[in-house]
Amino acid sequence: MSNDNSRDITVLNPWLEYLVPLLSFGGALVGIFFWITTASVDYRISILGCVLASWVLAYLAWMRPKKDIVALSTPVYSFIFLAVPTDNFSAVVLEVLYAVSLTILLIRLKFRFGAQAVKAPDKKELVDPVKTYVEKIRETGLSLHPGLAHAAAVVFVRFAEGEFFDAARAAKSSIAEQNDAIGPELCLKHAFEIVREQSNLLDQSLPAPETFLTFSADDAPMLAQVPDPKFGKSEEYDTALENALLILFAVAWNVESDRPHLLQCQAFAQRLLGQ
Amino acid sequence: MRIGNVDVKVSIIAIAVFVFFAIILLVSSVYSPEIRLQLIWLIPVLFMLLVIPMALNYMSRKEYADMEPQYEAVAKTVRVKLINESMIGKPVRIEGVVERVNFRFLNRPQYIVADRSGSISVKMFTSPNEDVKVNDIVEVLGQVIHRYLVTGDPCVNCISIKKIKKPAKDSKS
Repeated sequence: MSNDNSRDITVLNPWLEYLVPLLSFGGALVGIFFWITTASVDYRISILGCVLASWVLAYLAWMRPKKDIVALSTPVYSFIFLAVPTDNFSAVVLEVLYAVSLTILLIRLKFRFGAQAVKAPDKKELVDPVKTYVEKIRETGLSLHPGLAHAAAVVFVRFAEGEFFDAARAAKSSIAEQNDAIGPELCLKHAFEIVREQSNLLDQSLPAPETFLTFSADDAPMLAQVPDPKFGKSEEYDTALENALLILFAVAWNVESDRPHLLQCQAFAQRLLGQ
Repeated sequence: MRIGNVDVKVSIIAIAVFVFFAIILLVSSVYSPEIRLQLIWLIPVLFMLLVIPMALNYMSRKEYADMEPQYEAVAKTVRVKLINESMIGKPVRIEGVVERVNFRFLNRPQYIVADRSGSISVKMFTSPNEDVKVNDIVEVLGQVIHRYLVTGDPCVNCISIKKIKKPAKDSKS
């Protein structure tokens, strides 16, 4: 996924962003200096500023979750620019125009392709806000049988993969094991029931029914998104599923052997949390 | 132009290329007797500039039309928010409002389709059956793919996009 390479760039980005105009216009100024002083050097040395600026811009584009193909391809153009022999005046004019283009592309990248992406949904460890939510669920004192946590992992992963029938079937067998659930365990049971109901409907491509399962008011401390009383039926239906899936993810995290599978789906959990 | 059941569409770019070279050929044949001698093969080559894109469009549209019933049978209707990287390769059906249309002139339109849960990029590698515009409510049938083949966020490789009439509450306002 694209987010694999979008590391925490919030610290590095501002400096790199300044580098794009600095290097490109810096190179252009050096070129102008050579031209004015009629220095006996190859003017294309100054083009190196534009080449470096192109690489920095491409790097900034690569680090974003949403890739800008135009910014990514600028190093190719810069090499063509460097390789093609031109007379001194043309080289300087091209440099200035190229520096302006790179700056425009940088502005476009910032505003159109999202600045400062959220931290990558890593595949090695949990990242916020998923991590915070998993810790919140752990603090509720939910006592779990490892088998149930594993079942939660199976249901979540199958659902994320779009295998709704399998997810519903796995949820059904887990519900049967939780007949005497109370407190946080009862909330987990509700999560399984909601996922089962909605998975069955999704598997048959059926719309939201008039009446559907939701969490009770007692479950509120465990929910990632407390339903707004102003919500319509559709929003209530969607939020119930998102909360249920997130509870299953958080519970499933307790089983170490399932964590690699859950990390593969972390981006989905993050998406459910509204990131 | 209709060939069999397939409505063949040539992109404006292909037409522009044809017109450009037709003008060049016309002007050069007026001034150059050598060119006039070559017209016997230059004219067929000129028409190939239209025929080849038409043939490609016919083949791709026929292929898509053949695939549509298969996707209809297996695709699950999902909300946009549920589409994620783990679903790569899965056939899906989404319903929503078209927020943006790009590259229609290339016969490779890309749509941004939004429902109440979010929005997603829908890429079509041939021309659609219907002329879909911004604010149309559509049903998209396709496969979840990476934006850049092996990397990038999930998007939908569209097999068919149809305008539907739905109550406004089902789509993003």
